[in-house]
Amino acid sequence: MKILKLFAAGAAFAMLAVPAQADRLDDIIASGKLRCAVTLDFPPIGMRDANNEPVGFDVDYCRDLAAALGVDAEIVETPFPDRIPALISGRADIGVASTSDTLERAKTVGFSIPYVAYNMVVLTKEGSGINAYEDLKNRRVGSTSSTFEALALEADMKKWADPAGKFQSYQNQADVFLALDQGHIEATVVTSTVASDAVKSGNYAGFKIVDEAPYETDFTALITLREDFGLINYLNLFVNRQVRSGRYAELWGKWVGGPVPDLTVPGVYR
Amino acid sequence: MNYTFHWNQALRRLPEMLDGALVTLQVASLAMVIGVAIGVLLAYGRLSSNRVLRTSAAAWVETARNTPALFQIYFFYFGLGSFGLRLDPFMALLAGIAFNNAGYLAETFRGGLQAIPPSQTRAARSLGLSALQTSVHVVLPQMFRIVFYPMTNQMVWSILMSSLGVIVGMTSDLTGVTQELNARTFRTFEFFALAAVLYYAMAKLTILAARLIGWRLFRT
Amino acid sequence: MFDTAFSSNDLMFLLKGAWLTIQLTVVAVAIGTVLGVVFGWARASLPGWVNVPIGAVLDVLRSVPLLIQLVLVNSGKSILGLSWSPFVVGAVVLGLYTAAYCTEIVRGGILAVPATTRRAARSLGMTYWQDLTSIVAPMALRVSLPAWIGLTLGVMKDTALVMWIGIAELLRSSQIVITRIQEPLLVLAIAGLIYFVISFPVSRLGALLERRWADDSLKADQ
Repeated sequence: MKILKLFAAGAAFAMLAVPAQADRLDDIIASGKLRCAVTLDFPPIGMRDANNEPVGFDVDYCRDLAAALGVDAEIVETPFPDRIPALISGRADIGVASTSDTLERAKTVGFSIPYVAYNMVVLTKEGSGINAYEDLKNRRVGSTSSTFEALALEADMKKWADPAGKFQSYQNQADVFLALDQGHIEATVVTSTVASDAVKSGNYAGFKIVDEAPYETDFTALITLREDFGLINYLNLFVNRQVRSGRYAELWGKWVGGPVPDLTVPGVYR
Repeated sequence: MNYTFHWNQALRRLPEMLDGALVTLQVASLAMVIGVAIGVLLAYGRLSSNRVLRTSAAAWVETARNTPALFQIYFFYFGLGSFGLRLDPFMALLAGIAFNNAGYLAETFRGGLQAIPPSQTRAARSLGLSALQTSVHVVLPQMFRIVFYPMTNQMVWSILMSSLGVIVGMTSDLTGVTQELNARTFRTFEFFALAAVLYYAMAKLTILAARLIGWRLFRT
Repeated sequence: MFDTAFSSNDLMFLLKGAWLTIQLTVVAVAIGTVLGVVFGWARASLPGWVNVPIGAVLDVLRSVPLLIQLVLVNSGKSILGLSWSPFVVGAVVLGLYTAAYCTEIVRGGILAVPATTRRAARSLGMTYWQDLTSIVAPMALRVSLPAWIGLTLGVMKDTALVMWIGIAELLRSSQIVITRIQEPLLVLAIAGLIYFVISFPVSRLGALLERRWADDSLKADQ
């Protein structure tokens, strides 16, 4: 392993391309551009309009942040599994992409305080006979690779260990819906906002929400690189101010509607 | 460079990745067998005097060769799905690679068939062999000898192509396993580097095995 | 009957993706050809201690799936702190991949020129450089061009893989449109047709050249 490390270090040295690190907050302000990784197949949080232009809650959130920083916003489309690679590979400065704040991920990326919270529901098609979360155990189910709900659902399927049950993961949300629509899978567990949007859109015949998934609330946060503390500080204050100013509730009403999710956890600091 | 490699984390999952490599070999070999069978039929089809046969064989071959393999696999999963014809990811991947293999092998086989002098066929037929017997006992053995090397290449291609299954939700082959591990840990470089090593080993082993088989079959 | 949400807007979006596919192909093939000619010449002309290592490295590029190479370089470059755009990553990976194949094509072409021809050229007083450019290059080109055209088409199709690192080329563009209008079959058929329209004429041209030149060489032999 040492040899590999040495080799990699040698390669890096040979490239001589490692600039002195300023905090990313400085880089963003200096470049006049904030590049946000946003997932655009997660309606109404992130999606495309009839001209295939990005719109949605996350897109507006990014624009608000850019405005606060006094820079231009640039939306970098990233499917869910690509959010963190995009950040690490420097294609984006921050991720405004409903990223669940798991401890496993915190080993690699830096999280702000939660900016939206979600609940998960079971989405299926009429006539599937699925009426509750527990009915999924002997069904073909699927979700978007690497998301909070995919990890939770796969874990439960493993726990149930029903021979007829099968878990399938796809690389983006759109493929999950397509798979459900075509019957590759019989049900999926998905964020309530996305599910109700899919039902409302009329694109998919017979989709219906049948139950809430018994998971804990999915708190999602803005992400950036682990070591960019200056930027993370800024993001925390920004999230706080979005709530304080009422802009959070306004955006939620504009794109999603219904009760605005509470972002605090009782009984603990932060 | 402020990245710390976590090679240990990747190496600890090596057994899972090796299981994935086995699935990869399985898909690739199956797709090769199917591809060879259909490829022979398509090659005969393209050389046939029947117009319908010739056109449909040509359509298969040109479609397979002029669109991306990734596109073909995606089509077998989601394209056919919209007809209500549902293949699971394994089958869709298998169908995609077999479709592609058949198209490329058909052209290879056609070249091989044309390289065999027609006088041999005539001689075999005049000795009383049926058309089928002539193909099976005289023409095809020689053809396979001619095209053995390109076929080896196609098998390696088959292995490399199977990495595309992840796009239709294939999670059990080497790339699928690697991507799942990556999604969980975000240690992209470590896991994919290990996958690269395993693919390289599979490609080399395939070539080595083919040499041995070729030597055994054609050493006369 | 023909009720579809697919608009001319969407077609333009697909064509924009196709244009990116073509751009990426051209850049990758340009990089790959330049490197391929240099490496191919080296492999055909230089002694084993240069030839073998080059061959081994290029062999790795041919034995690892392109998807894996793309992911590796994409994450590797950020580990090294390079700020390459996805297009650059795609072009570099595809370019090297092309070079790996192009090298063998060029090498085969050069080795196909009979040694006697080259000795004759040198004995007529030509320099090594003159021999290479006036004798070897034209003859090797004829042998190599059909395979090179095949390679170019292969690269064009392989560009579909760059969608993994976030480039909206033709296939990714069609996925985006499918997400919105939910007519996978129609959109995929159109995308497939666009690929075919780009690829098929070039592949016919390659086959034509191969046949014509094969005939020529027969005539020359007689």
